[in-house]
Amino acid sequence: MTQVLRINGVEREFPGEALPETLSDLLNALEICHATVVAEIDGRIVERKDFVATRLTAGQAIELVRFVGGG
Amino acid sequence: MTPVFFELKNSVVGVAGLGGLGSNVAIALARLGLGRLIVADFDVVDTSNLNRQQYYVDQVGMPKVEALVANLRRINPNIEIAGHQVRLTPENVPEIFAGADVIAECFDRSEQKQMLVETVLLRMSAPIVSVSGLAGYGRSNDIVTRRLSSRHVLVGDGVTAARPGVPLTAPRVGVAAHHQANAILEIMLDNGRKRVNRSWQ
Repeated sequence: MTQVLRINGVEREFPGEALPETLSDLLNALEICHATVVAEIDGRIVERKDFVATRLTAGQAIELVRFVGGG
Repeated sequence: MTPVFFELKNSVVGVAGLGGLGSNVAIALARLGLGRLIVADFDVVDTSNLNRQQYYVDQVGMPKVEALVANLRRINPNIEIAGHQVRLTPENVPEIFAGADVIAECFDRSEQKQMLVETVLLRMSAPIVSVSGLAGYGRSNDIVTRRLSSRHVLVGDGVTAARPGVPLTAPRVGVAAHHQANAILEIMLDNGRKRVNRSWQ
């Protein structure tokens, strides 16, 4: 069965058992550094310290705002 | 007093970080006739800052807070300024920026940007205007202002990090800083319209 997450407004399919278990796993799969991203799941901010403990379920809407250096 | 001037005179803006972004944003806000500014930075002015930040050669070695407050007062002596020479943390951000109608994220390092945006969105009620992606030169029109939610506006091209060979330059940092100041102005004037509408109800 294919499961779906909506990431920054775009649906992303994960076939079979491939849905990342946690928000941290998703960021690793996307090669996004944890320290530079503000994450929101279904409209709620997830603190960076909770990325590893935050489990994902199919159908969630995830917003990831990435910051690059310079100012 | 025109309604716009009145609204700005009664607005409070917090500026976190007084480098290329923060020093330019604060000066734009001072020229607008803002009522009160809360500015915070731990650093001192370095010669390497002078290529894009609003300081002068004779201010090298001064705390940025002290130098910028002096420069802002020369532009607009009527502005109320609270300066904090401190390293911002999740613990002190809500206290330092208490009462701000809008907060400008003007840090250099991406981890600091993340920390401030997360802290403001979680622990405060004011909106935040942050920046990601302003290094290099050219491509002015790749720098955009996007409203991500009712409380978060993001400026920048989203990708161009400062790194060896891709320096921070006065023009492109200035483009981003003024996007930021312009977004803050828009938020302040929108707040004003909401207040007017409420008083009519």
